[in-house]
Amino acid sequence: MNMVTLGNLSQAAAFAAALLAMLLLLLGLARNDLRSIEAGRRALAAVALFTTMAAFALSRLFLTDNFQVEYVASYSDRALPLFYKATSFWAGQKGSLLFWAWVLSLYIALVVRNTRNETRRRNTPYIYLVLASIVAFFLLLLNTVSSPFTLLPFTPPDGQGLNPMLQNPGMIFHPPTLFLGYIGFTIPFAYAVAAMISGRLDPDWLRKTRRWNILSWIFLTIGIILGGQWAYVELGWGGFWAWDPVENASFIPWLVSTAFIHTAIIQERRNIMRVWNMVLIVLTFLTCIFGTYLVRSGVLQSVHDFGATGLGGFFLVFLVVTGIGSLILIAESYSQLRTDHSLESLLSRESTFLFNNVILLAIAFSTLFGTIFPLISEMVTGKKLTVGEPFFNQVNTPLFLLLLLLTGLCPLIGWRRASIDNLKKNFLLPASLALAGGLVLFVLGVRTFYPLAAFSLAVFVSATILLEFAAGARARKRLTGESLLLALPRVLWRLRRRYGGYVVHFGMVLMVIGITGSTAFKQEKEATLRQGQAMTIGDYQLRYTGFRSFQDRNRTVYAATLGVTRNGRPAGEMTTERRYYINAEQPTTEVSLRISAREDLYLTMPMIGRNNEITLRAAVNPLLVWGWVGGGLMVLGGIMTIIPSRRQKRRTT
Amino acid sequence: MKTDRSSQKSPILLLVLFLAILAGTAQALTRTEVEKNLLCYGCPGEPLNIDRCSRGDQMRAEIDRRLARGQDLETILAFFVSRFGEEILTVPPRRGFNLVAWAAPFVMLLIGLVTATILVRRWKGAGRSGKAAQGHGKTIPDPALRRRVEEELQQLEDEQ
Repeated sequence: MNMVTLGNLSQAAAFAAALLAMLLLLLGLARNDLRSIEAGRRALAAVALFTTMAAFALSRLFLTDNFQVEYVASYSDRALPLFYKATSFWAGQKGSLLFWAWVLSLYIALVVRNTRNETRRRNTPYIYLVLASIVAFFLLLLNTVSSPFTLLPFTPPDGQGLNPMLQNPGMIFHPPTLFLGYIGFTIPFAYAVAAMISGRLDPDWLRKTRRWNILSWIFLTIGIILGGQWAYVELGWGGFWAWDPVENASFIPWLVSTAFIHTAIIQERRNIMRVWNMVLIVLTFLTCIFGTYLVRSGVLQSVHDFGATGLGGFFLVFLVVTGIGSLILIAESYSQLRTDHSLESLLSRESTFLFNNVILLAIAFSTLFGTIFPLISEMVTGKKLTVGEPFFNQVNTPLFLLLLLLTGLCPLIGWRRASIDNLKKNFLLPASLALAGGLVLFVLGVRTFYPLAAFSLAVFVSATILLEFAAGARARKRLTGESLLLALPRVLWRLRRRYGGYVVHFGMVLMVIGITGSTAFKQEKEATLRQGQAMTIGDYQLRYTGFRSFQDRNRTVYAATLGVTRNGRPAGEMTTERRYYINAEQPTTEVSLRISAREDLYLTMPMIGRNNEITLRAAVNPLLVWGWVGGGLMVLGGIMTIIPSRRQKRRTT
Repeated sequence: MKTDRSSQKSPILLLVLFLAILAGTAQALTRTEVEKNLLCYGCPGEPLNIDRCSRGDQMRAEIDRRLARGQDLETILAFFVSRFGEEILTVPPRRGFNLVAWAAPFVMLLIGLVTATILVRRWKGAGRSGKAAQGHGKTIPDPALRRRVEEELQQLEDEQ
């Protein structure tokens, strides 16, 4: 069968199945007819089958170089390596939309399967209905305004190729992991809305969606980190985060969902903050959609140039409808959601979580407000302006430091109630260590406020976490008589839900160290060198020793070799490149990196002059590698918290 | 007891003082610092520290010349504003309507903190009056029993 026909038909069938599911579910709910609901459930599962067929068709079209398909011709060419051909699937908007609908329908199929014995419950049909409506929205767009299977009136001999900047493994996995995160929050959102419509407002929805929340958060975290990593190794401007509107669009839901994950714990334990959690999950979902709107509408200028794609209006309508609908629902169920809160003490884990929420949301707000301020300003004053990196750094840095302080204080404060004396006892050691750390850095010459505060707080938080680990290990030793060395990993594993959280926090501390080190103590230098000449930066001397050019698959490469010495001792060679891709107008610079625990040496070659004279841009980014390690730990800690315990496994099987 | 408390407070106080003294210590101005505050005039919306086009190169060369003359950030930015208008800046100048952008996050933070404090205080009050209203029946008179309840609650929390 022709893959274009298969794609078009499957897409249409998926949309029809989603509509059918909605119809059957509504009928079932209206007539209280279980058979109809069951039929709706099956129709909803069928959506996944059809979207999978459509996804298969698009992949085949890429792999067989079918350039009559406009989308394939725009993002692939014959010379493109196979791996990138397969992943060009989501290189543009139309394929991304199909990817989105596909993953969402697979997630839905999983929910449908897991709830197969729960269709009698009051809220289940509503969960299906919300999910069916959301997937129907995406399928509507795919079938009407943004189909990846649209044909060109002619068949071009070759495609336009994939932007060389995107031909990088980090970039290949950055968009889909972000999507997996965005899409994942649809499930808890649907559960929350269903709970409100059906009036089943017990924390059941939270317990059932805990893994979805954390998993989506993990994917969002991976997506953001990969984006930063890609920017760092590929773009060659030496940084990893530019507070660009599109980056912010992924960061805002991350912040809101982080807040949600924290207060969800409180609701699970104490059954309080129920209204607040509804608000947060709705906000998480809405900020995901808002991010998509920002990215796809072209209303803001961004370094991520997706152009105005005509989809913005649809997402805006979807956003407004979902926003108003959720608001009405929350208002209607407010009286039922309200609980009699009671705290035994002002000083409790519950109250620190509330303050952590305030700060996380303040950062989310400042990021959102800064991102859309150009639009607000244009409406009010008529003047176009930009709100860029320095704004976000200045506004958010103090907020982040406050958040870090709370991260450290939190483990010191017990649930329900903490006694002042106890707190002081716990506080003394970490605070003294932080102070000592700060003093040492001061003596070593760190004299600016933010880095000193950040490093001191990093020591403080690490100390509180380590103390917590030590206390756990000691308690287990007392209980079992195991040696500390054995007790520590065992207690970490046994109580992984809790210690996973601390691992995430420790990851964040490392990230703060990496970010602070590499921004506050960055050294940069640019020089034009002839062969044989050298430049110095920090402890390094870079001597330009060789130049060569060669053809490599779909590109011509010009490479300069530099002999590196550090403190006078030879430290190997580095090669930095400029690449001219077939089908690309602009050459790209290939970053050369020398990574160590202490610092990164970062080289790019912005220009090649006559007689192979090169302009070399060198930077030393201290401690940056710890930022990436920290990111990895955050993901690892997140995974720890969602690995089911044996007891739970037994319960589910 | 008293001396004990003050000695425990002192590290924190010292830390705060020590950090406060250091606030605002300046570092040498680098080209990247200047670049971050400017957009490339040829590429709409692209900050100069990310941009790599030839028009951006002209701006970079100008920054280098001015840095070599020892000019500070404000002077260099003022030059570019005089050439290209305020649209060339990545950060809105702190005046007029732009102040809203600078103030809003902190106003929101303040509102959030005040709300959270009020809520926590109210919950605390509810907890106390709730306990009082419940009267005897639910209090645990036996200290040994109370200790056991506390321990078991702790254990329950540890398991989660």
